[in-house]
Amino acid sequence: MPNGLLEGVTVLDLSQGIAGPFCARLLGDYGAEVLKVEPPTGDYLRRVGPFFHDDPHPEKSLFFLVLNLNKRGITLNLETELGRRLFLQLVERADVVVESFPPGYLARLGLDYPRLARHNPRLVMTSLTPFGQTGPYSPFAGEEIVSYAMSGIMAISGTTDREPLKHGGNQAQYDAGLLSAAATAIALFSAGATGQGEHLDVSITEVVASTLVGNQPYYAFMGGIQGRRQPKGTLLANPMPCKDGWVIVQPGGGATWEDIADFLGRPDLKDPKFSTNEGRRVHGEELDAILLDAIKERGRWELFREAANRRILFGIVQDAKDLAECPQLASRGFYREVEHPVIGRVKVPAVLCNFSLTPYTLRSPAPLLGQHNAQVYCQELGYSREDLVRMRQLGVI
Amino acid sequence: MQRLPFQGVRVLDSTYVFALPYAGGLLADLGAEVIKIEGPGRIDVTRGGAWSGAFPENTPGEDWWNRSSTYNLLNRGKKSLTLDLSNPKARALFADLVKVSDVVMENYTPRVMKGWGLDYPNLRKLRPDIIMVSNTGYGHGNGPYSNYPAQATTQEATHGHCAVTGYIGGPPSKAGQSFVDFLASWTALFGIAAALRLRQRTGQGQWIDIGMYQCGVMFLSEFLMDYIANGRVAPRIGNRHPFRAPQGVYPARGEDQWVVLSVGSDEQWRALCDLMGKPHLAHDPRFADSLSRLKNHDALDEIIRAWTSQHDRYELMYRLQEVGIPAGPVFNARDMHIDPHYRAREFLEYVEYPPERGMGRRPLIGRPWKASATPARIQGPAPRLGEHNEAILVGLLGLTPEDLQELEKAGIISQVPRESRLEPRVSPEEMVRRGILAEWDPQYRQRLGI
Repeated sequence: MPNGLLEGVTVLDLSQGIAGPFCARLLGDYGAEVLKVEPPTGDYLRRVGPFFHDDPHPEKSLFFLVLNLNKRGITLNLETELGRRLFLQLVERADVVVESFPPGYLARLGLDYPRLARHNPRLVMTSLTPFGQTGPYSPFAGEEIVSYAMSGIMAISGTTDREPLKHGGNQAQYDAGLLSAAATAIALFSAGATGQGEHLDVSITEVVASTLVGNQPYYAFMGGIQGRRQPKGTLLANPMPCKDGWVIVQPGGGATWEDIADFLGRPDLKDPKFSTNEGRRVHGEELDAILLDAIKERGRWELFREAANRRILFGIVQDAKDLAECPQLASRGFYREVEHPVIGRVKVPAVLCNFSLTPYTLRSPAPLLGQHNAQVYCQELGYSREDLVRMRQLGVI
Repeated sequence: MQRLPFQGVRVLDSTYVFALPYAGGLLADLGAEVIKIEGPGRIDVTRGGAWSGAFPENTPGEDWWNRSSTYNLLNRGKKSLTLDLSNPKARALFADLVKVSDVVMENYTPRVMKGWGLDYPNLRKLRPDIIMVSNTGYGHGNGPYSNYPAQATTQEATHGHCAVTGYIGGPPSKAGQSFVDFLASWTALFGIAAALRLRQRTGQGQWIDIGMYQCGVMFLSEFLMDYIANGRVAPRIGNRHPFRAPQGVYPARGEDQWVVLSVGSDEQWRALCDLMGKPHLAHDPRFADSLSRLKNHDALDEIIRAWTSQHDRYELMYRLQEVGIPAGPVFNARDMHIDPHYRAREFLEYVEYPPERGMGRRPLIGRPWKASATPARIQGPAPRLGEHNEAILVGLLGLTPEDLQELEKAGIISQVPRESRLEPRVSPEEMVRRGILAEWDPQYRQRLGI
């Protein structure tokens, strides 16, 4: 029985924030040994909420916790000579480095990929930045909303009577983290055959842009530029209010338009003018009125189950409470409980997908700041306790 | 030529719509031999249905099913085989292909592959080290929704995306276009690559069971934690940030031109005041500290809007970035094609179609990452329906040309779909009038040099 999907892989996670740490966490979730390397001040996400019981204690960021599961943690100041030397010793034993510094930062420290590869030719280095390592915007400052705007996705989100709309939360960061885990796994597979590692350059903005598979070629094939939705006449395939929440119904899949009319109990939907996508668009406002009337007295769960029985594509708007209590997620083992030395026992979203031979394992909570310094520097790299104290005093760890 | 990561890997891609077809297209970019399998009576909906996108010069043509933009983007570099898997003979051929393949991808609802005897326990009997990927809406198993039909549009509601997306005080809002599909694409790539690596080491295959729903929920982890630990359900905050202020999208000079910016420190705030020519605002008690800026965000937006609307969006980006403020224009599809950064990074790759297909040369999205030692590239156009029927069935499985004719007569293979699923087309001007398009650019070919 293999010891995890990524058995035998050692990862140094130098990244901070969301995208890079999520990438490294996924590698750890599926069996890699991940060592998080933080500056002595800690990953800035330690200062970002939500916090456990709204207590902004440095070890109680739940955001940090959830993105750094299955990692050990050390502190290391790369801006010191000794810090860089220790780092190179760690690189010699590693398969992967994940980093999210501004382009050029590691090169200024003498730690860019070509130099690391001299110490370890099999090394895969995954760099996540807002705009990538090359190109005129490479040095630009990024933020979630900036990646969203420049990816092209904001131009088609929201309605035409309002400004473009960002998706909620930090979708671009997670998206880039997940893609980077995939790119890293591909490079590891390749290195397994050739013995040669490589440098992966991930642009967070381009990861989101890569999802625009409808939008981009519309232009390349006929010069079409998509925009935001019309504010009226587009309720079909959009959230619409029912008695106790919001639902969404979409034609297609295994059901016909007639099936949708029957399900909603509205024979007037069978009027030929609604029978095609085109007709439903042209008569959108009329359609909106019928749909709203049909569902206003109905409950979302009843509609959800009944639509599924009829093979109709149907969704209900679920919020964090619904998702925390979702029986489907429970059946998939999505949530796991973790015991954190400061926070205590807490449920965390854990499992991305299921592998039949090498299942997900939750082996540890996020590390406390510098929790494994002694283990790594003394037991693994052979420094003495006295050295450890000196390193601390000199600001190296 | 350096070796591509998936050279020598054969993938059976019996998948439809966006998620796994895109994963298959990227595997082909990376050197895999990807065989896309469709039923003659069940061609991919991206070939002509609601998600087909555009046709070259808005002209579907006689073989429209080979010409749609979405199909051609997602299925680049693959081979095409038709097989009507509802027919036992077709399933026997599929089984023969499994024996000579490394990876099988499918996205049927859970009962389908099982009903055909092609679920993982059965595929494993055909080839013990096979790696199988199943992508479904809610994941396999005994959960209450496991057999529910799903597509991105309805899933963005169920997986929590809509609840956190929307204008302040407004209804929950759908993503601009399918979003969750691509999370399943990346997950499949991760799973396949990691499983191939493990197989390289141990000789063992396995089954990868992806539920798109679960991938989507994972991306809301901080919201889930806030509910689990603090009982809080966060409100929709539009384009704002939980603690950075100001942040938002502001009108720039010109019609439907926008710029975003995000201020995260007093220093950036002072720099913004200077840029706006209003240095005194830095000391205005309404905005002088970060908590006040969050509280008085509406008033702040008005001041910023008055400034941005006087300036070009690129100029705003350069001036804001110069003083360290994260900022950039809202790009539409045309911008993505002509912006100097996208061009410098060769994000779009040009695909040359054979002359007989009458599709010319088109730029398509490449891959969202660059690898220094394994230079992946789009390997070629998406295939015509059934283009490789003979190459695969005769060349790979050893059938005779007569067998092929039999299969064609029985409707098991074909190069023409059994029924038309072509959505009617209207003129580009009419698309703009109906709001399907925001704009039509008749000069696009000159701009792209195609």
